[in-house]
Amino acid sequence: MNMALEDLFDRHPISRPLVNWGVTVISVLMCLLVLPMRLPGMELAGIGPNWLLIWVVAWSVKRTMFQGALAGLILGLLQDGMTSPSPTHALSLTLIGVLTARLQKQRYIEEDFISVALIVFGMAVLAETVTAIQFSLQGGRSLMEIWTYHQFVALSSAILSSLWAPVVYFPLNRWWERMGLIEQV
Amino acid sequence: MYALRRWWERYGIQTALVTAALSTALFVRQTQGGMLLETYQLITRPFQGNPAQQDRLATAQAQELQQRLIELESRNQRLEELLGFVSAKKTKGVTAPVIGRSADHWWQQVILGRGNQDGIQVGSIVLSPGGLVGRISNVTAHTSQVLLLSDPSSRVGVTISRSRFMGFLRGKAANRAVMEFFEKVPDVRRGDVVSTSSFSQLFPAGIPIGRIESVDLNKSPAPEAVIELTAPINYLEWATVYPNSANLGEPQLISPPVPTADETPAPKATP
Repeated sequence: MNMALEDLFDRHPISRPLVNWGVTVISVLMCLLVLPMRLPGMELAGIGPNWLLIWVVAWSVKRTMFQGALAGLILGLLQDGMTSPSPTHALSLTLIGVLTARLQKQRYIEEDFISVALIVFGMAVLAETVTAIQFSLQGGRSLMEIWTYHQFVALSSAILSSLWAPVVYFPLNRWWERMGLIEQV
Repeated sequence: MYALRRWWERYGIQTALVTAALSTALFVRQTQGGMLLETYQLITRPFQGNPAQQDRLATAQAQELQQRLIELESRNQRLEELLGFVSAKKTKGVTAPVIGRSADHWWQQVILGRGNQDGIQVGSIVLSPGGLVGRISNVTAHTSQVLLLSDPSSRVGVTISRSRFMGFLRGKAANRAVMEFFEKVPDVRRGDVVSTSSFSQLFPAGIPIGRIESVDLNKSPAPEAVIELTAPINYLEWATVYPNSANLGEPQLISPPVPTADETPAPKATP
């Protein structure tokens, strides 16, 4: 598999960015399509993991703030398409892209699953808080209802997302690392 | 000019890719994920068609029948005074499997595996054994999105079947909803059956919704009651979609004659 890929890249240099972006796009598509599913083990009181948030964290961990923000914006718009455009998800996911990139994980934190899971946990709570604030500003729902529901959603979503984070993070990180190594050579 | 070309050589592909990604995302958002939902339906097709949990359905169905009975009984007196009633012809519904849930926790939605190819339209009514589930908010060729009754943004005019006191209902996650009464001292107690009222613009009158679970008469500004929805919203596997016409739940009055052109769906009030 490795050899075949290297061979392809050597023969047609243009194929490298194409394959790289193809894998990236397909991973986003898979995250999107898994969102409405509620498989056993992926559900806690009717709430599933926030796959797009995990993807944004996996993407932004080793990238610049601008790249993180862009990925958050794009995936946020996609999630808007899947649910309802107001309030928008783009805001919370962009913020998360920027903050995750800002953490500079490779400099301060050791590289392993636990730290990624922890980042995802914190970011999931943050994302739900941003959404709750958006709902509060928008009006229509009573504040008390929003914030009681927020506690419930933030906790379940954070727990599930951080547990499932390695499933997205590990293969994607491996892939991007390899592509990075090949590009450096 | 040279600088521009050098910039393009360096960042050209990246810029193009980012632009493409952004415009795709915007397109998906504008079309409300139509293509994504279609793909999802295609992928999940082999897993659809699980027979529903029969025993749960049976009890829910019995409850629905009981509720319809109470609704009819309490209306009987009113009906007897009027002449020229006929029982409404039942409109034919589309049975659709539930293929997905909401893609976010803040919206209570369900994705059905039938779309406008089968005649489902935005604003159609979704029922399941047990009563009202919600209404269609978005349709593609083979899928449709249902805004559930339990979503906090869905508002329905409802009435207590026994005493005919009116109010409106708003969703409250899971299978609960809150009913706010219009009167200060409504005649209501635990176990009363709640159904859609004739004030509801989005739903035909007389469809069973649920039972009163608890009542808070001291609530300000209006008394409130918590309603347990009888439709099994949390483990819904099948639902039936009906076009939004007035004769779905209620027998129709013949005199004075109702023009048939009047069957267009009620104007959309933003829920």
